[in-house]
Amino acid sequence: MDFQSSKESPSNKFVCPSDRQLALRAKLHTGWSTGKPGSPLRPEEQAVILSVIRRNEALETAERLRVGRLVERLEKLKHRAAECGSHCCRLCGQTFGLLGPSKLICGDCQKAVCSKCSIDINVKSPKHKEVWLCKICSETREIWKKSGAWFFKGLPRYEIPIKSSSTRNSLRESKSRPIKTTKLGMQIEESSSDEDNDTVDRQTVGGMKREESFRLKAMGSFRSFSNSIFFNRQISSGDVNQQDWDTMSTSSALGYCRRESANTRRGSVSSTWSMSESSSANSSNMNQIAQQCREPLLGWIELSLNYSEMDHTLECSVLRARDLPAMDSAGLADPFCKLNIITPEGTTKQLKWIRTKTVHKTRNPEFNETMTFIGVEPEELGNSVLYVVILDDDKYGHDFLGTAKVALSTVYSTRPYRLSVPLGTEDQYSIEAGSSGPWPRGQILVALSYNTKKRSLIVQIKRCINLVPMDSNGSSDPFVKLHLKPDSHKKKYKTSTKWRNLNPVYNEEFNFEARPNDLDKQSLILTVWDKDIGKSNDFLGSLVLGHNSKGRRLKQWNDCLRLPDHFHEQWHCLSNEQPPH
Amino acid sequence: MAKTYDYLFKLLLIGDSGVGKTCILFRFSEDAFNTTFISTIGIDFKIRTIELDGKKIKLQIWDTAGQERFRTITTAYYRGAMGIMLVYDITQEKSFENIKNWIRNIEENASADVEKMLLGNKCELNDKRQVSRERGEQLAVEYGIKFMETSAKASINVEEAFLTLASDIKAKMEKRLEANNPPKGGHQLKAIEPTRKSDSWLSRCSLL
Repeated sequence: MDFQSSKESPSNKFVCPSDRQLALRAKLHTGWSTGKPGSPLRPEEQAVILSVIRRNEALETAERLRVGRLVERLEKLKHRAAECGSHCCRLCGQTFGLLGPSKLICGDCQKAVCSKCSIDINVKSPKHKEVWLCKICSETREIWKKSGAWFFKGLPRYEIPIKSSSTRNSLRESKSRPIKTTKLGMQIEESSSDEDNDTVDRQTVGGMKREESFRLKAMGSFRSFSNSIFFNRQISSGDVNQQDWDTMSTSSALGYCRRESANTRRGSVSSTWSMSESSSANSSNMNQIAQQCREPLLGWIELSLNYSEMDHTLECSVLRARDLPAMDSAGLADPFCKLNIITPEGTTKQLKWIRTKTVHKTRNPEFNETMTFIGVEPEELGNSVLYVVILDDDKYGHDFLGTAKVALSTVYSTRPYRLSVPLGTEDQYSIEAGSSGPWPRGQILVALSYNTKKRSLIVQIKRCINLVPMDSNGSSDPFVKLHLKPDSHKKKYKTSTKWRNLNPVYNEEFNFEARPNDLDKQSLILTVWDKDIGKSNDFLGSLVLGHNSKGRRLKQWNDCLRLPDHFHEQWHCLSNEQPPH
Repeated sequence: MAKTYDYLFKLLLIGDSGVGKTCILFRFSEDAFNTTFISTIGIDFKIRTIELDGKKIKLQIWDTAGQERFRTITTAYYRGAMGIMLVYDITQEKSFENIKNWIRNIEENASADVEKMLLGNKCELNDKRQVSRERGEQLAVEYGIKFMETSAKASINVEEAFLTLASDIKAKMEKRLEANNPPKGGHQLKAIEPTRKSDSWLSRCSLL
């Protein structure tokens, strides 16, 4: 801890004393010249403070373990849940009916549960009906209370107590992050964790280390200018972390995979990343570039690959990712991965991207999932690329977190090996992967602006595309309802109805009076409806923009507040979830 | 095995030097009092577990140095606090006037929805009083926070103050979670099931 902050360092010559200091000085009969504005801490003071900090650390370790136990219990509960559809209890799996238990809907997850597996929470206000929560959701709420997550808007760091298995998960979280300087390019990790497939891995790594040398190649393309710069990096056989620049060449195109010279064994990695500063992209100052590269912008992913020549399958284990970009206001994300193989022709091999589970509320997710690509011929490996895109899971859209590309040329006939790849920026494939999600509800184009003169939020509903047909004529009659929540003015608006149109253009503008401070706590709720005469309107889709949003939606909201009097336009996916009024 | 508890609340005591923050905490955690003035070095904390509505709440109460020179260290602990006690000395006009500076300090450094409370300490020294009770109440109303006059020496209202603050935090927590809004994002997946309506006879009409 730095005790000598700039404010307190003696080199700071003059700081205007506070009233209180002046009063004290007046009492002590000392003048301006005496009494330094702040003296650095004496060693004994430092020792006292350090002991307090240590005491606190001990307490926090215990707290992390406590939260870890709670999380573990919840995970077990989730694991045991039957989850077999709406006609059965989510937890115990009993079928509802006359003979079976009665069906209740959990207030949080909206899934069906039986009365035995749920808890009635008494909501104080009389206008609410009774709310039932399934045991998983009530347990989740308990964890939020017990861990302090309710206050800090996210689960704190936790450690799952060490037992024989399943302990690895968040121990890693508490470990200090790997040293940044060793992160460029690719690392082959000699992991000491006790994973199932690790024994094989370790042998492989060991085997590699015994070889005279091997080369890893990382290619980074700087998007800033048209040039791409290729780095060839060498990892010395003795020390994995010792990396030095081998050669650097400039080329105008980014090739995916290149077979290395004779002594290459494996681990050809290509990855794209962009630099925010473009200044030095075309300068040949290597140090400068190295300096920039030390801070990968989008984080890292760890993969393990295994190709089986026998059955022509490629097994790809997504182990974990680290340092992903934050997506919500609490600085966390809900990442998941989508995988595909990109053929030499530049098309995706599989029509459907393979998807991992979502790991919630973390920027350092542990996926530990193995995906298998079937029917991968050895011939096509040479020029194909494994493409992994990490996306943020949110009901209003999957925001991009990072991509990794691994050339498969070296996978052939080698043992399973692990690699750590820096994440690159968005490109055509990741957009394809991101948009291939479950967004059957269409999209909406919204522009937001905060008008400082009118002191109001101006919302422009521009247009929608690909809405769902709800009427039997294969079309819908869409209109958009919008309101702020919570809103003291209780303003609600509606656009006009566009008859028989699944791609309506509105270009309508609405005003919500609100102070910027209020908007920090409010959300704009947009719902699209199909106008029906003679019966209730059909719900077509919804979108919520506000401080609780994530990714692009949070960015648009924040941009609108940060840069007032400008319109910020953005396409959004519509969700099929109807927000509460 | 350590004592188990349901919730952990982190509280913070701030105020000018010498108003009695450490004494208040000493009274609350050990039920004792010490007349000698030892200035707190930087930060310190004490633990006490209380019980509210059948729930065991572990309070980790941070005591901060009032002195300016520790300000950089003490402000680092604002962010983690769920509740903050602002303490002034009723026999020191200046310490009362400084409360507004402390409030500003909170606004700059602490979490926005931190629960606050104002304490006028040393209320047993009524003959040396410089700040009337009404003025304290007035200020608390101004900031929309609760107010109490306490005495660490005579053990007046110390226990009550902490219990009030803890129960306010607890109430806020329950309001936030027990109301009809589930933990956002959290450890759960929302069920996404398309709700296509069933075909009613009305929808066959081509107009609709």
